[in-house]
Amino acid sequence: MNELELVERAKNGDTKAFEELVNQTKDKIYNLGLRILGNKEDAADLLQETYIKAYESLPKFEGRSSFSTWLYRIATNFALMKLRKEKYKKISIDELKEKTDGTYKMDISDWTSNPYFYYKNEELKEVLNEAINSLPPKYKTVFILHDIEGLSIQEISEILSLSIPTTKTRIHRSRLYLREKLSEYFKKKEN
Amino acid sequence: MNCKKVIKLISDYIDKEIEETQREIVEEHLKICRRCLSILNTIEKTIFLSKTLYKRKKVPKRIEKTLYYQIRIRYKK
Repeated sequence: MNELELVERAKNGDTKAFEELVNQTKDKIYNLGLRILGNKEDAADLLQETYIKAYESLPKFEGRSSFSTWLYRIATNFALMKLRKEKYKKISIDELKEKTDGTYKMDISDWTSNPYFYYKNEELKEVLNEAINSLPPKYKTVFILHDIEGLSIQEISEILSLSIPTTKTRIHRSRLYLREKLSEYFKKKEN
Repeated sequence: MNCKKVIKLISDYIDKEIEETQREIVEEHLKICRRCLSILNTIEKTIFLSKTLYKRKKVPKRIEKTLYYQIRIRYKK
């Protein structure tokens, strides 16, 4: 049975059809929660809130986007709400813009070319993880959806109701900022 | 094209969201500018590293059980 048929059945009160939709999408939503929120408890809450909301809003789902795009929209809305209350210290959007406007200092080091170094370096991962968590929530979400989850720019703009240029700018600034943070780490290591 | 403009286009270049003529201009610039090439390389490494940062996980059984329970009580109403 395809997604649309399952949605139609679920709308008509078929629990099994809704459970099948959950079954097909739950890992995606859970992983998104883990990545955006950073821990199992919050990811579990996100999962539950997303499907309860989806169940309640199902009669309003018109199939203009795919069911999973629609679910992502519900999930990212919850995640953004949670993120705004998060403990991580975040940089402001102005600060991010300033750091990524193109006039920042450009170093010419390529870090290192040994991929093994990246895989095994826990300290580097920690630096990157912290940097991702310090992104403003709107940027962090777009970066994770695109560069980690592999969603297309078009899908993300639908999920977050953003224009394509805004989506692209957020991805671009996030990347420049994260790159800068990793560069700082490598520079410190060299000295 | 100057460095600032090239860097502005660099994500579009990585994502292949760039027009052919602009792509050529960026590539010409990258051939002669080590700094911009280095920025391109390190952004690609940043993306690569971000992808390897997390392992995909399945929803733990306990969480899954609670989830289905929550759904079933709503369908019963």
